[in-house]
Amino acid sequence: MNAPMTVQALPPPAKDVEEGLAHIREHGLCVMTGVLSGPTLERAREALYRAAAHDRARGRERKFSLDYGHDESNQRVWNVLSRDPVFEDMAEHPTALAFVRAVIGWPALLGNISANITGPGGGEMVLHADQIFVPEPWSAEPQGMNVAWLLDDFTEANGATRIVPGSHKLNRAPRPDEGEVATVPLEAPAGSIVVFESRVWHKTGFNRTQDQRRAGVFAWYTKPIYRAQENWFLSLDPAIRTFASEDMLVLLGYKADGLGLVYGASPVPWTTPPPSLLESGQ
Amino acid sequence: MTARRSEVQDLARRGENTLAEGRRRLREDGWCVVPEVLSKESTAQALDHLWAAAAESERRGLATYMPALDPNASNVRVFNLLDIDPLFRDLIRHPTALDLVRSLLGEEFLISNFTANIARPGSQSMPVHSDQALVMPGPWAHPWAMNIIWALTDVRLENGATLFLPGSHRFTDRSQVPGDPLPLMQPFEAPAGSIIAMEGRMWHTSGANVTAGEDRALLFGYYTAPFLRPQVNHNVTLSAQTQASLDPPMRHWLGLEAEANVGLAPEVFAADGGRREPVRVS
Repeated sequence: MNAPMTVQALPPPAKDVEEGLAHIREHGLCVMTGVLSGPTLERAREALYRAAAHDRARGRERKFSLDYGHDESNQRVWNVLSRDPVFEDMAEHPTALAFVRAVIGWPALLGNISANITGPGGGEMVLHADQIFVPEPWSAEPQGMNVAWLLDDFTEANGATRIVPGSHKLNRAPRPDEGEVATVPLEAPAGSIVVFESRVWHKTGFNRTQDQRRAGVFAWYTKPIYRAQENWFLSLDPAIRTFASEDMLVLLGYKADGLGLVYGASPVPWTTPPPSLLESGQ
Repeated sequence: MTARRSEVQDLARRGENTLAEGRRRLREDGWCVVPEVLSKESTAQALDHLWAAAAESERRGLATYMPALDPNASNVRVFNLLDIDPLFRDLIRHPTALDLVRSLLGEEFLISNFTANIARPGSQSMPVHSDQALVMPGPWAHPWAMNIIWALTDVRLENGATLFLPGSHRFTDRSQVPGDPLPLMQPFEAPAGSIIAMEGRMWHTSGANVTAGEDRALLFGYYTAPFLRPQVNHNVTLSAQTQASLDPPMRHWLGLEAEANVGLAPEVFAADGGRREPVRVS
């Protein structure tokens, strides 16, 4: 099956999870507005831009392999889970987990939670589907999903994620000659979430504004057979796992069932510190 | 038990299974035997160390009988070989083993697990399964996993050789599995010191040891494609001391590094028409 010649429109914002799930089945994604608002949204936004400023000031930025090497404007902030508890609230937000349970099942793993901030003159990314690490042919079900948290208004001009609605039904990655297929900008107000399953084609948009940055936090979940992008056992702030909820322990791989075992059982969250800490005497 | 004796042992004795031939057979037939990988002395030493590891495992409070896996206590299972004894850390990366692993899974792979199963007289079969079918969604189009099985004793039908269903590595979904596969299955027979390699899609079961007084000792090195979650959480299972002793390749193969599941399909970059060079994260 070839990619569609004309691009579908985005579905309107979903009223509830049930309608959102119907949109995901049909379009590969759904939008819900107003999930974060008021002081909560401002708090999350402040936490992210503070982390981004720290990384930039200290030269800790790490580019992503699907971004372009020349792009000095776009910024990734990795492992935000270790940066501020507000991102833990996002990763296990009841609405987010309702989608996770329905789209990929439970238990699921949190593969990564990171931010993508486009800046003026940057941000464009290679068109891709998030489960491209799984060799084709793909099975009939999505193997993962993203919950994108919009901390600024996403507009066509400021580099809103661009998406090919319905492309999940092709059940394959874009081919080399499909890099320029028609996409639509994922425009939605700050505080919205966009839930998209792992087969839908998308890319970061190009930010053609003079002075706007726009930030999205992307929480990536997978079925539990896949290796997490982030090695939480190495990188997670111990405070997060020490005070983690039962759901968060599942998402981090601390509630193993058949895979990720320690002596046949789940890892204990307060177990041995990594050798790097022991060696440095901390 | 109505399984037929295979030609494996005869072939092994005739020395036809060179490593190159093994690679070819593994790819085409889904399995191979490479004899004389370990000398008689090394095999005997490994068996001694295995029994010592079983005792150490019990001393640490980890039972060597798993009611969930085996119908009776005649199967002795040792789960934490890699942590207990450096001899097993050498075996899991034995050049012949890794040669076969790379030939099937590619240059990038993970060590998922390394366990022992000593079938003592009276041990019984497990249910017939394929390792991929247990956890991975169909269609099973590619080998995503494989076992390197070390024969530390002679292995034959009567002492509980693993039974496999020839050609079943080509099954892409469950409907192709015969209703009663056991009469069609063959034993992996091999002399002590051999490697038996089996890809992850092969349907198999442990055999039953019907001898009066003969142990059958096998080590199962389980390797997977790098995007899959390891069966064992090495980050937590391996002691700090063990982790500190590992060299960079071992840390990489065990998934202890920050580098994780961001392996990306080359065609994604081709989709951009090769205009720009993406930057690798690591």
